[in-house]
Amino acid sequence: MYLTKRQEKILMGEEGPAKARALEIIVRVGESLGADKLIRIRHAHVSGISYLNIGEPGLKLLEELADTGGRAEVYTTVNPSCIDLSGESLIIDNSVADKQLRINKALEKMGFHPTYTCIPYLYRPPSINEALAWGESNAVVMANSYYGARTNREGGPLALAAALTGYTYHAGLQLIENRTASVRVRVGFEPGEGDYGLIGLWLGENIEDIPILEFPKPPSYYGLKLLFAASAATGSHGLIVVENVTPRNTYRVEAEDRVTIEKSMLEKYQYKPGRDESILGYLGCPHLHPGELYQLAGMIESYERVRSGNALLLSIPLDYYYTMTSEIAILRRRGVDTAFGTCPIVSRLRGEYDVVLTNSGKAWFYLQKLHGFKVAIASPREIVRAIMEK
Amino acid sequence: MGIIIPVKVIVDGDCLGEVLLVDRRISFYGEVDPVNGVIRGVNESVKGKALIFRGGRGSTVGSYIIYGLKHYGNSPSCMIVSEAEPIIITGAILADTPLFVALDYDGLVSLVKGKPGGLHARHKQGEKHVELEEK
Repeated sequence: MYLTKRQEKILMGEEGPAKARALEIIVRVGESLGADKLIRIRHAHVSGISYLNIGEPGLKLLEELADTGGRAEVYTTVNPSCIDLSGESLIIDNSVADKQLRINKALEKMGFHPTYTCIPYLYRPPSINEALAWGESNAVVMANSYYGARTNREGGPLALAAALTGYTYHAGLQLIENRTASVRVRVGFEPGEGDYGLIGLWLGENIEDIPILEFPKPPSYYGLKLLFAASAATGSHGLIVVENVTPRNTYRVEAEDRVTIEKSMLEKYQYKPGRDESILGYLGCPHLHPGELYQLAGMIESYERVRSGNALLLSIPLDYYYTMTSEIAILRRRGVDTAFGTCPIVSRLRGEYDVVLTNSGKAWFYLQKLHGFKVAIASPREIVRAIMEK
Repeated sequence: MGIIIPVKVIVDGDCLGEVLLVDRRISFYGEVDPVNGVIRGVNESVKGKALIFRGGRGSTVGSYIIYGLKHYGNSPSCMIVSEAEPIIITGAILADTPLFVALDYDGLVSLVKGKPGGLHARHKQGEKHVELEEK
């Protein structure tokens, strides 16, 4: 691999041990993936920061990097952690707060922005063909497919190494020839709000190559957000081209195969909760966009409160605690549980419920897999109606 | 003189240890307990061993587990794999654990299986091979 003089100096430790180690990771991984050189990135997004996932080893490593001079070389955001940072959620279990706060302190010491969200594009929308190094699969697909930027599906430690050096390897989705859609997937019906997650689940499970998606009508931004997240959970997509959405000149098409998704193909993901079952409603996977939270608060305002035995949980970025106080107040008064800077996929939950109702295909997948919940998919409107009373 | 196994060095360093063969891909996150160094299902500790396995799989948290093995004093002496992928490479660099790709991995596996009495592996920094000796 070609390295510049400065990169060689970093490897020799001239800019400190943390940066040397981080760059060595990127160089060695890049070599194994056939990269010819390193490229500069503009934004790193570090996933894998929940204490419940990375445990003591992760905590120790992050503290060691922070204490040996590891500092963000580029704009860096971080994924949700395992605790509710408002401390007010009754559903998110904050019992490992001490450990998680040590991780957060190390991250912030390294100069990472305390976003604690899986939608980093909210803070810095990527530009077309801009190089990024992002962990968190839903954000990766959004960056590549909606914004036309370039990032591989990095693991947490690699995104961390990119943050500390400002470099990534020139391979994979950083190269236009690897951004070629090879199968045309037509959505054969007009999707409603609850359908995007289902389409994403099917796509991730059934299509291995990069698809180009065609919709009968332009898909909604919030819908695509759900679709990409679900697809990245059940599959390994980093790029899903969407016709008339993905910016031109950020991908190529060489598609001969053609598939049509019909509504009947999505039935296996659906389940209707019984009348006597206690329901945990969950919205915010990926974290709710400010627009989504605003719409939801408007919808919930006409209800009295959450029916006893049920609960409604929303997961959102920490910032909204300060910026969306009116909406949060409306929701709280009606018994809605808001969790800031976390989500049920990276945390532990308190309380027992028969079934989880969510609009998220990604949450559908992980809440069954990680927590053994029975999970069903519905639109936000259906979820609110099932859980709240007038 | 033992048997010479040619390797591609990914992370260099001295290695001296008993060979432990786990001929499959390992998800360090979930399959290896860093606190006692044991691979679940195999019930053997990797501590001080020359660990031969196909490669990594699963969660990228696996890199932190390899680092965790070092933290708890349970690092293998080196890792010899068929394919070096990002999880293993990252973990090896973080933990300073030597990592080699065996140029003929399948040949190495049959060689190890043919010596039920066990083998020792040796590598000196700078060399392009691992030397195996019968116990």
